[in-house]
Amino acid sequence: MNNELLTGDLVRLTAEDPQIIAETFSRWGRDSEYTRLLDNDPARLSSITKTKEWIKKVAEKEQILETFFLVRSLEGNPLIGFVGLFGIQWNYGDAWVGIGIGDRQYWGKGYGTDTMRVILRYAFTEMNLQRITLGVFEYNPRAIRSYEKAGFKVEGILRQYLHREGRYWDEIMMGILREEWMENEK
Amino acid sequence: MKNDLLTGSLVYLAAVDPQTMAEALSRWGRDSEYWRLLASDPARLHSAKATREWLEKEMDNKRSPFYMFSIRTLEDDSLVGEIGLDGVVWSHSESFVGISLGERRNWGKGYGTDAMRILLRYAFTELNLQRVSLTVFEYNPRAIRSYEKAGFKVEGRVRQFLNRDGQRWDMIFMGILRNEWLNRNQTSTIA
Repeated sequence: MNNELLTGDLVRLTAEDPQIIAETFSRWGRDSEYTRLLDNDPARLSSITKTKEWIKKVAEKEQILETFFLVRSLEGNPLIGFVGLFGIQWNYGDAWVGIGIGDRQYWGKGYGTDTMRVILRYAFTEMNLQRITLGVFEYNPRAIRSYEKAGFKVEGILRQYLHREGRYWDEIMMGILREEWMENEK
Repeated sequence: MKNDLLTGSLVYLAAVDPQTMAEALSRWGRDSEYWRLLASDPARLHSAKATREWLEKEMDNKRSPFYMFSIRTLEDDSLVGEIGLDGVVWSHSESFVGISLGERRNWGKGYGTDAMRILLRYAFTELNLQRVSLTVFEYNPRAIRSYEKAGFKVEGRVRQFLNRDGQRWDMIFMGILRNEWLNRNQTSTIA
C-alpha cells in the first residue's frame, strides 16, 4: 500500500486502536525523563482507562480542532511515538505541534526529525495551514536541533518559565511559516 | 451597545436564542412560499420543539461549526430573519451561506442585502475565509438580484434541478472570492 502523504524516510504516521494507544502511552509515561521532555505539567501517572477516556475526547475534536497520529518505524513496524496538531485556530491558520518519541531506543537517530517533516507536509499541503508553533524546553537541546533541521526558527523565549531539578529554565517558542516551508521544499 | 462588526445600515446580526429562533422558524415555515424560496427539500412543518432541538445540535457541532445569527432591524429591534455560514470547510477556507427573511412584509426592503453585506464582512475579516458560496433557485430573481448587489457572481447552473408547480427550474450556484470582496470594501477596522 502506498501512502506517501503520511510516510517519511524512517517512519510512517498511523491510526491505532484506542486500547493500543492507551497501553503504549501509559507505558511511556512511566519514564520520567520522557514526561519532562514532553510537557510542562507536573509528571503524573495515568492509568490505561484514564488515558483511553482522554483519547476518546481527542477523537471527538478530531480534524476540526486536533489531528493526531501514532508513529511507527518503517523497519520492523514498532510503535515508537506520536505526533499531532493541537489547538488549531482556523481563522488564522495556526496550530501547535506536539511530538513524543516514547521508546528511548529511537532517540537521537533522526526518527523525530523525520516525523516532524511528515507532519509539516501534512499541515501545509493537506490542512493548508499558514504557520506551525511549538514550545520546547531549554534543557532539551536535542529537540531544538531537530526542530531547526525540520525548518523551525526560534521566535521567542519565555524566561525562567520552568522550575525543574532545583533551577529555572526557559521555554523556547519556535515557529515555521508556510512560505518558509515551501521555500525549503524547493 | 455598539458592535460595528455585526451592524449594517438597516439591520444588525444578533445571537441566536434557540427558543426564540425556533418559535420564529416554526411560524415562518407555515408560509409555503417562504419554504420554497428557502430550501429544495419537500415542504414540511416542524414544531418549535423539534426546531429547537435541531438548532441546539447544529450550533454545538464541533466538526462543522454553524455560524448562525438572528437578523434584527435597527429601527425597532424586531426579529426579521436568520443568516448563517453553514458548513465551513476550514482546510479550504470556504463556506456556504444561507439566509431567510420570515415575514412577507419584510421582503424587498433591503434587509436581506444588508444582512448579507454584514455576514460577508464577518466571513472575510473575522473568519478570514477565501470564498463564500450559495445556491439560489431560478424562480427567486429577487434573491439573485440581492446577492449580486452584495457582490456574488453566478458560477454555474444545475439545470432543471427542481420540479415545482409542474415545471423544472435550475438551481444556480453563486460565489464571491476574498479578493473580489476586498476590492469592493477597502476599509479596515484596525486603525
